Amino acid sequence: MRIAVLLSAGRHPVSGAAVLPRLEAQAIRIAAGLGTPVGLHAGPDAAAVADALGQGLSRIAHVALPEGADPVPVLAASLRAMAPDLVLAGRRGQGGDESGIVPYALAAALGLPLIADVVAVAPGEAAGTLRLDQSLGRGALRRVVVRGPVVATVHPDAPAPLAYAFGQARRGVIEPVAAIVPAGPAAAPAAVEERPYRRRPKLVKGAPTGGSAAERLKAATGEAGAAASGRLLVDPDPDEAAREILAYLRGIGVLAPPSPRPNP
Amino acid sequence: MTRPRRDPRAERAAIQVAAGPRPRFDRSARAAGGRPRRDPRPERAGQRVPGASRPRYDLSQVVPAQALRGEVAVAAEARQPAAAKILVVEDPAFLVAVVPDAAGGRLSPHDRQVLGAARVLAGREGGILVVSVGPCEACGPAGADRHLALGEVGTDPDERAARVAAALAVASPRHVLFPESLDGGDLARRVAVRMGVPLFDNAEVVAAGGLVRPARGRRVEQRAAPGLLASVAPDAVADYAGPPREARPLAHDLPPAAEPASTILSVARIPADPATVPLSLAEFVASAGNGIRDLDTFRQLVAALHATPGASRVLCDAGLMPRHTQVGASGTVLAATCYFALGISGAPQHLQGVAGCEHVVAVNTDLHAAMIERAGLAIVQDAQAVMPALLRLLAREKQEAGEGS
Ligand SMILES: Cc1cc2nc3c(=O)[nH]c(=O)nc-3n(C[C@H](O)[C@H](O)[C@H](O)COP(=O)(O)OP(=O)(O)OC[C@H]3O[C@@H](n4cnc5c(N)ncnc54)[C@H](O)[C@@H]3O)c2cc1C
Repeated sequence: MRIAVLLSAGRHPVSGAAVLPRLEAQAIRIAAGLGTPVGLHAGPDAAAVADALGQGLSRIAHVALPEGADPVPVLAASLRAMAPDLVLAGRRGQGGDESGIVPYALAAALGLPLIADVVAVAPGEAAGTLRLDQSLGRGALRRVVVRGPVVATVHPDAPAPLAYAFGQARRGVIEPVAAIVPAGPAAAPAAVEERPYRRRPKLVKGAPTGGSAAERLKAATGEAGAAASGRLLVDPDPDEAAREILAYLRGIGVLAPPSPRPNP
Repeated sequence: MTRPRRDPRAERAAIQVAAGPRPRFDRSARAAGGRPRRDPRPERAGQRVPGASRPRYDLSQVVPAQALRGEVAVAAEARQPAAAKILVVEDPAFLVAVVPDAAGGRLSPHDRQVLGAARVLAGREGGILVVSVGPCEACGPAGADRHLALGEVGTDPDERAARVAAALAVASPRHVLFPESLDGGDLARRVAVRMGVPLFDNAEVVAAGGLVRPARGRRVEQRAAPGLLASVAPDAVADYAGPPREARPLAHDLPPAAEPASTILSVARIPADPATVPLSLAEFVASAGNGIRDLDTFRQLVAALHATPGASRVLCDAGLMPRHTQVGASGTVLAATCYFALGISGAPQHLQGVAGCEHVVAVNTDLHAAMIERAGLAIVQDAQAVMPALLRLLAREKQEAGEGS
């Protein structure tokens, strides 16, 4: 199976140093379990993604692209030439705009289906099909079986990346590939204004909107929540305690009610 | 000009209340002449703003005393239905569309926040249009003026995006908001690519003057005037809090989906298996501490409750529980809805791991343990006795359910 992993020049969220985004390292791990993946990077400098060689790739195709140019036409042309069965990408970039639109634009340009937020990929039962597990959060999955080439984005709940191997990183090669189509013009600068990030208060769940400051403080510190209305049973009968616990768990909906159970 | 001469005796006799052996007078009745007698207590009660738990008074409003008498209750009652009156925007100047996830036909908390954000953009003149794929209940109280329910589509997300894009092209709203959830963010990007319009994703501030989103690893924020498509981050904008709106259903005459055959062969939902799901993702964690000696019973209980097992550091250090089950600062920080702590004292390092849990149930022999203080349901009892009791109760319920069906 031919697999392409899209690599981006990421930045570390804290230090700002150039790193391989974790999602892409996870994508390499998924891909390495299926075959020998090839990395694909479009950008001014291939050194930015050289780390990916140590994470499990043996070959990276690099399309030189001026800084700030739109990578989608170039990537689409290269992928058309490579004709992979599976294209993996991170669900969001890291260090740039982080809008996560590139895989969607690519899938539209290639006319391929896109499956978002996968955590595992396996070959399907029928030939030419793939079984992808999409994350629904909290460990729940949606298992999708797709025919033929597909673009998939990787969710952070996917297995952790492989360990970095220095020897492998030295053996791997980065092949420059000529851009097949001229790079699109740099995307028109959208009318966005940038400022240093300012943290904003998260909404406090259950805070009264019109309440007094004291009420809002109580909601924020959790005093008004479960802890304030907390029930304390001192030395109850164990059976009584068990009933209370089950009633409480059912009240908050983490335990299924007893009566009509589908499985015997 | 002479004033009429008052006869206090006659006046008093006029207001004497008949009943009772002792003479009683009703001074609240309006005296024949002169100023009405003021009664500050009901006046104050009339100024009270209904609803708030702490007393609040609206001093700008002066309620005439006689109007108060016997009418306070009526006024308060009259105020409630007025607040619940459904607000109708007959002819909205423009529309702000919201495409909720509405899994299972119900708005999620995130969807409600997006409706709140849409109201900020719509202001007083605009109308909010909910475009849902499949049915969607209770849009009106959440703030929708119009509701366009598209027919259910198959499992292909592209088909869904095509339907939504077609509906948006017909409705031509000024702004369209999506929730930035797993499915909502996916749909937003598909619609953006399909319509060829940029998407302002993950907006953390929504105001008519501009949207703000974080970028470059939250080192900068980007601000732009609201465009056509935007998605709203979770827990960033408050829900709509105004009076309910009508959510008038709109008819649509969109042609049925004419997409080429989908390459998606099958879709199946696999619920999380509590026994194997990683601790950081688990919804319900039952955890054992140093107070538990009988770990076999604990494991049975965890399986019977369909919980994910956890442990305090003491048990992991002793090798009684695997290291990956450790909860706390040097273990896993939980995002669970409920945490069930058995025999755990609640050391600060342990409580750090539980800080994000909404509900905590604790069983501990020590009334003064920190875990008992943190818990929503705290039981001061021997966990060794409570665990078998729980197992017995669960087994009995299962048996009864088996007999019943
Ligand atoms: C740097 C550092 C990092 C740490 N990180 C972590 C961490 O990540 N996670 C973590 O858990 N700990 C951590 N610890 C350890 C932590 O400080 C505590 O020592 C530990 O959490 C205590 O575990 P415990 O509550 O199970 O045991 P104990 O403190 O011994 O508490 C046992 C509790 O069980 C109760 N009990 C006894 N018998 C019964 C019974 N029959 N029925 C019911 N209750 C009973 C007792 O009343 C007591 O409250 C860390 C410590 C350090 C120094």
